[in-house]
Amino acid sequence: MKASSFRKLKAALLCSLVVAFGYTVSGSVAESAQPAKPAPAKKEAPVKIDPNDPASLIYLDTAGKPAGVGGNAAAPASQAYKAGMGWHPQALAGTGLPKDRYGLVDWAKLVRENIIKPKASLDPEEEEMPPLKMDILIPAKGDYVNDVIYPHEMHTYWLKCEVCHPQIFVPAKGSNDMTMVGIVQGQWCGRCHNKIAFPLTDCNRCHSSPKKAAAK
Amino acid sequence: MKKKLLALVLVLAVPALAGAAQYGKMTLDSKIESMHKAGVGAVIYPHDKHEALFKCNECHPKLFKEKRGTSNISMKMNMDGKFCGSANCHNSPAAFPLYMCTNCHTNVGKK
Repeated sequence: MKASSFRKLKAALLCSLVVAFGYTVSGSVAESAQPAKPAPAKKEAPVKIDPNDPASLIYLDTAGKPAGVGGNAAAPASQAYKAGMGWHPQALAGTGLPKDRYGLVDWAKLVRENIIKPKASLDPEEEEMPPLKMDILIPAKGDYVNDVIYPHEMHTYWLKCEVCHPQIFVPAKGSNDMTMVGIVQGQWCGRCHNKIAFPLTDCNRCHSSPKKAAAK
Repeated sequence: MKKKLLALVLVLAVPALAGAAQYGKMTLDSKIESMHKAGVGAVIYPHDKHEALFKCNECHPKLFKEKRGTSNISMKMNMDGKFCGSANCHNSPAAFPLYMCTNCHTNVGKK
């Protein structure tokens, strides 16, 4: 008899506790709901696209470091940036430029499909040099990785010879002892790729020439 | 009450102890000659780390065969989206990318 009444008391206490707890929780929610209404407009802003802010998303490379400044956030990204100009992400999205599978602008496709035709130089006197149509086969060192086909054509469309030769690449076949580790650390192709040019995550975009062992 | 608690502890702890730390770190070196040509060493695969993150059936048997040495993993296959480079693994933002050679391969840069 004693035990059952104790149980009833316990149950009643538990019930009242639950009710009291529920009231306090719902009460506090109702109170906080009213001042919270104007907040959502502010909450939509955390994607930082302010061109004047060096920590803005549009200036970050794929590693999340400031792009084009060697990881130094204090250094300006470009002359345009110095002058207070920057990307306009909405405008960029509106142009419908082709993107690769990482959502980055595919600059090679832009050229191949004649979507843009930039002037060769700002200097009207300067002679335009046609792109160099020369593919270089760079054998991968391991047996189980496809060889690389390096297209001079796309690179010379955008760049002059002196941008890469002879400082970054000795202009003689087989005389650059390239390694993937070095490239990841920013040597050779890594001077541009993974920074302003498409990222190294896209292995097969360069390693595109099948090897016999690799096919197995 | 005590018996129930003991049973609960047994149910939770025994499979955890039996499953974990069984494989630990696995050395993957079936293609060591090719690896040496490429200037990298064997891969030390931290099975234990992956055990803590995933259930067995998330990788076995659809990504990797269970029997050691039968999957025939290669860098080419990883780059093609198989094995380590499967869509939700080291070919996605969920894990470090395939080009981080030193994260998996030992002796990188030694010849």
